[in-house]
Amino acid sequence: MLELKNLHAEVEGEGIEILKGVNLKVNKGEIHAIMGPNGSGKSTLAKVIAGHPEYEVTGGDIIYKGESILEMDPDERAHAGVFLAFQYPVEVPGVTNTTLLRESYNTIAASRGREELDPLEFDDYIREKLDLVEMNPDFLERSVNTGFSGGEKKRNEIFQMAVLQPTLSLLDETDSGLDIDALRIVSEGINKLHGEEDAVVLITHYQRLLNYIVPDYVHVMLGGRIVKSGGKELAFELEEKGYDWLESLAKVNGEAK
Amino acid sequence: MANLTKAEPSILHNLAKHAPEGNSVSWSEIRGKNLKALNQTAFPHKKIEEWRFTDLKPVERTAFVPLNEAGTLPAADIEKYFIPESDRSRLVFINGSFQENYSSIGGLGKGVTVGNLNGFTNNSTVAEYFDKLVNYEDDVFTQFNGLMFEDGAFIHLEKGAKAEAPIQILNLYTDSAKPFVATPRMLVVAEEKSDVTIIEDHIGLSQNTYLTVPVCEVKVKKGAHIHHVRIQRDSINALHISRPIAYVEKNSEYHSYTITLGAKLSRNEPRVVQEDEEVDFTLDGLVLIDGEQIADTHSVMDHRFSHANSHQLHKVVVNGSAHSIFNGKIFVRRDAQKIDSFQENRNLLLSIDGLVNTKPQLEIFADDVLCSHGATIGQLDPEEVFYLQSRGMTEEKAKEVLTYAFALETIENVKVDSVHKLLIEEVYRYTKANTESKVTA
Ligand SMILES: Nc1ncnc2c1ncn2[C@@H]1O[C@H](COP(=O)(O)OP(=O)(O)O)[C@@H](O)[C@H]1O
Ligand SMILES: [Mg+2]
Repeated sequence: MLELKNLHAEVEGEGIEILKGVNLKVNKGEIHAIMGPNGSGKSTLAKVIAGHPEYEVTGGDIIYKGESILEMDPDERAHAGVFLAFQYPVEVPGVTNTTLLRESYNTIAASRGREELDPLEFDDYIREKLDLVEMNPDFLERSVNTGFSGGEKKRNEIFQMAVLQPTLSLLDETDSGLDIDALRIVSEGINKLHGEEDAVVLITHYQRLLNYIVPDYVHVMLGGRIVKSGGKELAFELEEKGYDWLESLAKVNGEAK
Repeated sequence: MANLTKAEPSILHNLAKHAPEGNSVSWSEIRGKNLKALNQTAFPHKKIEEWRFTDLKPVERTAFVPLNEAGTLPAADIEKYFIPESDRSRLVFINGSFQENYSSIGGLGKGVTVGNLNGFTNNSTVAEYFDKLVNYEDDVFTQFNGLMFEDGAFIHLEKGAKAEAPIQILNLYTDSAKPFVATPRMLVVAEEKSDVTIIEDHIGLSQNTYLTVPVCEVKVKKGAHIHHVRIQRDSINALHISRPIAYVEKNSEYHSYTITLGAKLSRNEPRVVQEDEEVDFTLDGLVLIDGEQIADTHSVMDHRFSHANSHQLHKVVVNGSAHSIFNGKIFVRRDAQKIDSFQENRNLLLSIDGLVNTKPQLEIFADDVLCSHGATIGQLDPEEVFYLQSRGMTEEKAKEVLTYAFALETIENVKVDSVHKLLIEEVYRYTKANTESKVTA
């Protein structure tokens, strides 16, 4: 599904290298968790995979479904099934949730050869997805994320994921800002959406989320590299010991697995 | 105040000799007064503060001829500009001349008078207010209109009268062999507790050069309500200089929405003057310009008494090498307390060559006043563009959606359905044309 090969990326035009050789392999049907302290490059990694123009890939490759996607625009990646749930979802005043989702759903559907839905069909479809994250239908007619609380924004991201049915979901700190009930609802939603044909990459720095969504693999990111990978028990170890014991690994060149 | 020396004659001064005859004593008096004032008023230039950013050379240097020498072409397909809600409440003017055959009145219910001003020379309301409300300092354009006007829209609502349908004032400008000047005129008097919605539309049917100088006088008496939509869709080579002024009495409301899409050069000077306490008024604007267009709004909201709510949201989208100018004056006089005034000018600059000048101007002499005001100039936010792209929209589509969303806010309050819809289409056409031009660029 996804393979990152020695991926290097820097802030476009500023020469600040943030990703310093990331290697990662995600197969379909799997859930991966990427953990790591603030500033280690987790969000940057997610944005680079989604194609954010602020970052320039200076080395390595991103292979998705067997092909390099480095030359693809963000919308083309979305069409191919890549979805990023933002750590800080953007407010888009004046564009309603429904407008955004209908536009997105139909362009993605068209590019994947799925049937487009007319407004009525779309309405039925979307309401079913609302239930999945227990979101109030009032949110449909509100401007995207505008004036939403932190938790509502996160829930809205998962709602969009439900509507767009991606094959690779990158969920960046989706758990932060959610209270315990919301966390449970959102996690259950994600579990229902995940199946044999898609993969999920969870980015988090709390072990809390992993009580609800059980990862197949856990990776630790430090200083722009993945310094350690393991099974779900690695998350417990991190919870107990923090990240300090791994600092030395961050300094090793190349693969740190 | 006008100095008594004779002004250096401009093209407008030169056209003055073609002024129509007055068809009544009062009309002749009005023309006489304006001719005298015009002869003593100089044509404005860039050294005057109020005209610092707007160069009137396109007006000065065009060889305008009197309408009957311009070789105007007939108008075709006029019906497509009729709004269905005003099926029986519509006045049509072509190049400023009233068109009885295209107009339709009688669908407004009791107590509402609508017609060509020219037929109301002896009307007491007209005698009381016509050309008396207009108040622009040493302004050749209002003087010129006051001298040259022939036809115009007259709307009068008796006490308690509620217009049953919106009134459409349709001003069409046709193609012509030579550039001409039109002087549309409006007088609206809403007596106590009356209510009316007015859709004033200016449409250029071709791409020719003409100058239109609409003057509109509005009197909103005690407890009356007026909703006034003004659409400027003039020819891309037209010059449009408009002076709409409204006076609001106790407990009255005046809400105006001006949409500026056309003309090579436009200068809009809406004014609202408060005449008593407890009033509520709006002077919103939406400007969508491109190419070489220049759109200038100089507004005045004059708070003279206590307890006023006023609102001005002026949104502008600039593309190409277009230029927007905004000067929003808010006066709060010494005895005007408990004023709640909102003013915001937001500019979206889509191109490198576009230009925006903005100057909110608050002159507040009272102390118990809540006045929020601000001006912003910005590009589309790249994070918003990326967010939409990550949801599958192309970059062009994302920009189009964001521009569209930016513009839409100002027309949300237009309450006539078909007009709201046509404005949405105009906004859509603008954003679409823009993103397409950028793709090919
Ligand atoms: N556009 C940018 N310009 C400058 N520095 C950046 C930019 N984006 C990210 N960084 C820096 O890169 C590092 C990694 O950031 P980020 O990926 O957000 O970390 P995480 O998500 O793991 O907390 C931080 O030091 C951050 O300040
Ligand atoms: Mg982060």
